[in-house]
Amino acid sequence: MSEPVLRTENLTRRFGGLTAVDNLSISLAGGRVHAIIGPNGAGKTTFFNLVSGLLGPDSGRVFFRGRDITGCKPHEISRMGIKRTLQVKSVFPELSVADNLWITRQARSRFLHPFRSAASDLQAKSDVERTLGQIGLTGLAGRPAGTLSYGDVAMLEIGMAVISEPSLLLLDEPTCGMSPAETSRAVAKIRDLARTIDIIIIEHDMDVVFGIANDITVLAQGAILASGTPAEIADDERVREAYLGRPEDEDFVEEAIHA
Amino acid sequence: MTRRTIEIGMAASFAAFLIAVPWLIPALTDNFWVSVITEILIWSLFAASANLLFGYVGLLSFGQALYFGFGMYGVALGIDHFGLSFWPAFGLGIVAAMAMALLSGVFAVRLSWHYFAIITVVFSLIFYFLAVSMKPLTGGDDGINFSLPPVFRFGGAVWSLTDPTFQYFFVLAAVTVCFFLMYRVINSPLGKGFLAIRDNDLRASLIGLNVYVLRLIAFVMAGFLAGVSGALFAFFGRYASATYMFYQVSGEAVVWTIVGGAGTMFGPLVGTTLFIVIREIVSSHWEHHSLIVGLMAILVVIFAPKGIVGLWNGWMTRLGERDAAASVPPRLTLRADP
Repeated sequence: MSEPVLRTENLTRRFGGLTAVDNLSISLAGGRVHAIIGPNGAGKTTFFNLVSGLLGPDSGRVFFRGRDITGCKPHEISRMGIKRTLQVKSVFPELSVADNLWITRQARSRFLHPFRSAASDLQAKSDVERTLGQIGLTGLAGRPAGTLSYGDVAMLEIGMAVISEPSLLLLDEPTCGMSPAETSRAVAKIRDLARTIDIIIIEHDMDVVFGIANDITVLAQGAILASGTPAEIADDERVREAYLGRPEDEDFVEEAIHA
Repeated sequence: MTRRTIEIGMAASFAAFLIAVPWLIPALTDNFWVSVITEILIWSLFAASANLLFGYVGLLSFGQALYFGFGMYGVALGIDHFGLSFWPAFGLGIVAAMAMALLSGVFAVRLSWHYFAIITVVFSLIFYFLAVSMKPLTGGDDGINFSLPPVFRFGGAVWSLTDPTFQYFFVLAAVTVCFFLMYRVINSPLGKGFLAIRDNDLRASLIGLNVYVLRLIAFVMAGFLAGVSGALFAFFGRYASATYMFYQVSGEAVVWTIVGGAGTMFGPLVGTTLFIVIREIVSSHWEHHSLIVGLMAILVVIFAPKGIVGLWNGWMTRLGERDAAASVPPRLTLRADP
């Protein structure tokens, strides 16, 4: 097997007495869509925070395509090609939808020209227009992103991920808050993206997970409970008991943690 | 009337007024008001430096007077101590202000929000007390006076700021150039990076923007604007004094900016004009004119949180929406595209 796209060695992060990510060693091969699932508090988002540099680990290391990125700053990791979305949708609220995409595209380059007019960059302009079309927000291009509906913001986040041309994309509950129609549009877009880039997705919607993922890793209490193909995970008794039985029932999931 | 024609009309009449000031004002009222307008231009540039940080990058600086003071002392010491001529002294003031901004910015922009505001005050206080205590060099509160060197010498002809009309146009030109540079920066890729950081610095770092470096660049640019205004004010008053480095001066720039409209190109100019005109009219009759300033600041913050220019933009946007037939979508803010 070739070099894994993302690999962690004994990654641990504690918050006070709580161990959010517990000695996690994970190796994710390239060319596949990985889903990370698990009950609330399993450490999924903390794992993303450790990979994207928002948090430093207490111990352990993170490797991206064989390169040790432990302790790198978020913008450095972003420039290596790891882009992510945030669980609580996070865009630039006072910038227009088009400008959100524009600056995301431009942030790829190290140099931001201080005097040239931003509007004169025709290549950027056409990239933005194409992405707006892909995510279906062309009609809202001039609106401040803060005035969009939640589903549209989630769509804009996906657009920002697309235009940043990642080599590894971390999606944290991308379809949360979307209508069924928006969800299927997003799923189609993510499948389309997966042809060229590696994707790791955290998702609670099992239809989405089983519709997209090639591999699934189940986390519980910061450690791997199970991992395998969707079929293997669906057949795994422990996962079935702990998680898949009633995926919509959050209370049940809470109980599962303490089981 | 559409929004665009109103805006073009206003900009044109404003430009015409500024050019006509040296003749219009003496014809209508007192010569004294020409110098008040000169002063307004200088202070509006100072307010613009607070606005660049607060309105466009989201950093509330209560220490811009430090860089204003460095601009002032660069000019005054350059002329008085080192015997420099006009332009080198001007350059020294600007470079000193930017160097100081770089030095303090390296520490300050690591912090955010109130910690940032506090450290900018601390830096400015340290240098204020240093300037007050180093009386032999700085003149302390009394300041140092100097005599103006000529701006240009061309054959036998000499242009100097002692001519009030020339002084007015010199200040107008310098302030216009600075506002134009700021406009270019705000509408450039770098400017969009600033806005992104102001809106959401966490997200900005995740898309690959180096938040620290961009904030530092903005801080030095703001130091440049404050330094130019300080240098101009030194030329205007023919002196430099530590009093202008006090944080109250910094606070005024913030208040002018917020009342005028933070994050708008002309907000600082509007706010500065309002408060200096009030001061000039009221202070001869009533010594507590700052009470009016305080009252107005409170009213604006409550009823027009985006300032006077923000209020105006809101009206213009509504006007644009009413003319919905217009083929171009209404521009929503003046911020990025004044």
